[in-house]
Amino acid sequence: MVELKHIYKWYNSGSNRTFLLKDINLRINEGEFVSIMGPSGSGKSTLLNIIGMLDGFDEGEYQFLHESVHKLKDKQKSALYKQYIGFVFQAYHLIDELTVYENIETPLIYQDIKSSERKAMVADILDRFQIVGKKDLFPTQLSGGQQQLVGIARALIAKPKLLLADEPTGNLNSKQGEEIMQLFRELNREGVTIIQVTHSEKNAEYGSRVIHLLDGMVEK
Amino acid sequence: MLKQYFIIGWRSLRKQKLFSLINILGLAAGIAFSLLIAAYVREELSVNSGLKNVGQLYKVESKWKTESMGLPLTSVGPLAREMKRQFPDLVKNYYRWDGVTSTVSKGDKAFREGLQIGDSTFLQMFGFNLIQGNISTALREPFSLVISENMARKYFGRTDIIGETLNIESFNGTRRDFQITGVLAKPVRNSVTEVNSSNDNQFYIPLNTLSFFNRDIERWNNQYVVQYLELQPGTSPALAEKAMKQLVTANTISDISSNLTPYLVPMSDYYLVMENGLVQKMIYTLSAIALFILGMAIINFVNLSISQAGRRMREIGVRKTLGGKKSQLIGQFLTESVLIVLLATVVALGLYILARPMFNSILGKNIPSLFVFPVSYLAIPVMFALVVGLIAGIYPAFVLGGLNSINSLKGKLGTVGENRWLRRSLIGFQFCLAAIVFSSAIIISRQIELFFGKDLGYDKEFVVSAQLPRDWSAAGVEKVERIRDRFARLPQVAGASVSYEIPNGNNLNTVQMRQPGTDSVNAISVTTLSTDQYYADTYKLPLVAGKFFETPYNASDIVINEKAVAAFGWKDAADAIGRKLTVNQGSGDLIIKGVVRDFHFASMQQPIEPSVFMNVRMIQVYRFLSLKIQPGNTAASLAALQKEWSAALPGTPFEYTFMDDTLKKIYTNEIRLKQAAGLASGLAILIALLGVVGLVSLNIQKRVKEIGIRKIVGASVSSIIRLFLKDFLLIITAGALLACPIAWLIMDQWLADYAYRIRISASPFVTASLALGIITSLLIVLQTMKAATANPVNSLRSE
Repeated sequence: MVELKHIYKWYNSGSNRTFLLKDINLRINEGEFVSIMGPSGSGKSTLLNIIGMLDGFDEGEYQFLHESVHKLKDKQKSALYKQYIGFVFQAYHLIDELTVYENIETPLIYQDIKSSERKAMVADILDRFQIVGKKDLFPTQLSGGQQQLVGIARALIAKPKLLLADEPTGNLNSKQGEEIMQLFRELNREGVTIIQVTHSEKNAEYGSRVIHLLDGMVEK
Repeated sequence: MLKQYFIIGWRSLRKQKLFSLINILGLAAGIAFSLLIAAYVREELSVNSGLKNVGQLYKVESKWKTESMGLPLTSVGPLAREMKRQFPDLVKNYYRWDGVTSTVSKGDKAFREGLQIGDSTFLQMFGFNLIQGNISTALREPFSLVISENMARKYFGRTDIIGETLNIESFNGTRRDFQITGVLAKPVRNSVTEVNSSNDNQFYIPLNTLSFFNRDIERWNNQYVVQYLELQPGTSPALAEKAMKQLVTANTISDISSNLTPYLVPMSDYYLVMENGLVQKMIYTLSAIALFILGMAIINFVNLSISQAGRRMREIGVRKTLGGKKSQLIGQFLTESVLIVLLATVVALGLYILARPMFNSILGKNIPSLFVFPVSYLAIPVMFALVVGLIAGIYPAFVLGGLNSINSLKGKLGTVGENRWLRRSLIGFQFCLAAIVFSSAIIISRQIELFFGKDLGYDKEFVVSAQLPRDWSAAGVEKVERIRDRFARLPQVAGASVSYEIPNGNNLNTVQMRQPGTDSVNAISVTTLSTDQYYADTYKLPLVAGKFFETPYNASDIVINEKAVAAFGWKDAADAIGRKLTVNQGSGDLIIKGVVRDFHFASMQQPIEPSVFMNVRMIQVYRFLSLKIQPGNTAASLAALQKEWSAALPGTPFEYTFMDDTLKKIYTNEIRLKQAAGLASGLAILIALLGVVGLVSLNIQKRVKEIGIRKIVGASVSSIIRLFLKDFLLIITAGALLACPIAWLIMDQWLADYAYRIRISASPFVTASLALGIITSLLIVLQTMKAATANPVNSLRSE
């Protein structure tokens, strides 16, 4: 599903070139649940952003579902990830001015899905995550765990094939974190490919594979 | 999608109450001002548009080579009539009228009214309607009278008054009943029933009655007749102008024909261009001010929106990762700004209703109420909101919509917050505008102080003038002089004088005078003033030499002013005493008995002209009784005057005017401009300050952490306040510096219209800039105080 070949990313400061990612080669198949681990500054988030097409790279090739991402224009990239990728963030990144319902609905709006269909889809996922009672609340009225639940619901609403999560439990207590991981495992069993960045060995164990990054390179 | 945009726009408005309030208030003030001005302009542009066949209607105006020889407003009497008689191919119809003021009474109700005595074409040619009476016969019989609906109510309290009579006084004191044959429906504003502000005549009398007033407009040497022509369809006015010149050459004496060129002004433009385009200038000035104010409000909006961007960045990032396209985000922000402008417009409509009475009094016009506009006009504010919303929103929308998603997710300010240079120059520009308007307002009011100040050359304090009934004969003059003496004996009266002119710029005549024995080409045009010997006393005109007439009265005595001394080339005032002058078209020799210091008889727009005072006994025309009241209880004095008047002149209304009010009338436009400029500077300052409040508060929010850190490392409260002050004071200073030369240029040009003007000193600019600076600083200090005194632990913890 995802195949990275010799990916480099750097920035220039003066005459020095600092590498964020160095010769990353990676292949992730459909149905996998991969955890990316590594110390701060090792390039985990950068890698995730590149996979999610939010960020570019300076050298290398990236195949996503048989599309050569490095050859695509911005518009095509955005159409591609809109269709196949969902994001979950450490800080949830819900829109404060929108209710739970509206937050979840937003990606569907951007995909030009009809209003009646949207209603059905949102209702479905609210039910599934058991947050129907919260649908008219604003994010600030929810606990961290609930907010992340909404974040995940929003990421899944458009039925993505790939879920990218950047430290999804980083702001949560251990019990809430465990619940989220449990949910990820279930989703993975249902066929969603998941790539998560995490600090926690325990969370990494939920995944089927762990990739260790150090100073922009894959260890081992 | 639009619905979600609206929802989120509405919610972020509510979340940021101060920001929204400032934004909406500032915009609303600007929009309300613009709407009011637009309504005013629309109203002014519509004058005369309701007249029948307005495209073919022309007002006859006169161009005089020697300007003092006649008025542009009027022309020689028979001109329009002869145009129709001799050039029927060119002229379809005409209307002329003679304006007089006389006493109209019904029972014990008596008022002085403007009467319009003119051709019987009046009603039909312009398409006026009668609510009572027959249009084709109403003005046929002598001593018939058509009055306005207003006047019908004033005298009768009702409008079904056909066949009733009103009593009107002639100029030799006789009175007669006039039969009412028509009641004029209130016409839309036009230059026929109201040719200028001092001629809102509401009594219309057929021309065949003119002899009752001892007047005649059918003479070619009567150059004071207001005239209108309706040309045949398709006739070029140039052709008609040629014909008019031809008639003037053929029929008038050489003095007039060599001087006078009549010309036509389309009625559709007349109101705008009359009196040197006064109305047009006012429209331009006010429109420019409105545009500036609106511009400032829009700038505020742009400024605040961009500064607020930081707050919205995370949202933008999220939306992008959720698949929002740049165009969709731009659409969202544009929708928001249109929403804000719409809200502001709704508030502005409220302000329109509230501020309309104030605008009416400032502009001296009736700005239409919101509710008289047809419903379709609702589209205008809506369109307006859309356009302004798009203009105001386009820049912030593109800046925000174009943000990089990862950076914005991380809350990195990137280019948005850093574009301080742009925001600074926008603020600077606002302050520049505010300073221009403010210092201009100061300069205008200084010039107006000059109009009313000591430099008038006479003492206007406690002088009232009242119009006397006319009886222009030797006996009549004697009678009013006896009445004058009755008043003079009252203890409340310090001086009393009978005259034709009061210092309001309106004088009866300008004549060509020369020294006897010199050629008539050496004649100099002088304005004549017909007064009695107490005039100088009453108005405290300082005498430079000689006496202000002699007692006993001598028919050949005259008094001149210093300008006349200079114009005739005499050494000094004393040198002029005893010299002789004669009027060009034959008169006996007149002997100069006195010289008065120059005083401002007319508006300070015009230079003081050489003037000659002649005795009312000789000229035998008079209009005013001027009374100088003893200072003290003015109300009681006026009551005593009223009592004396009723006893001396029964049946004549005592309608007095203080000299101050007379002067205010001369300077109506200047006073309006002053009030408009004052209002505009208030608004400009308000909007600029709103902008500063918004920016400072956002700035503080952004720098909360910085303030906390600074305090922890030992910064004092005042040093933190200074931090914010410094930023803005620099901008204000730059704006004010730029404003000075611009305001100077504009004001210098405005003042160039006045023969007597103030010198522009530095003080208005300094005052304006300092005031702006101080107000702004106070505001900033108040706002930053809270942030600067807050406990740094709290602000640092929040991250």
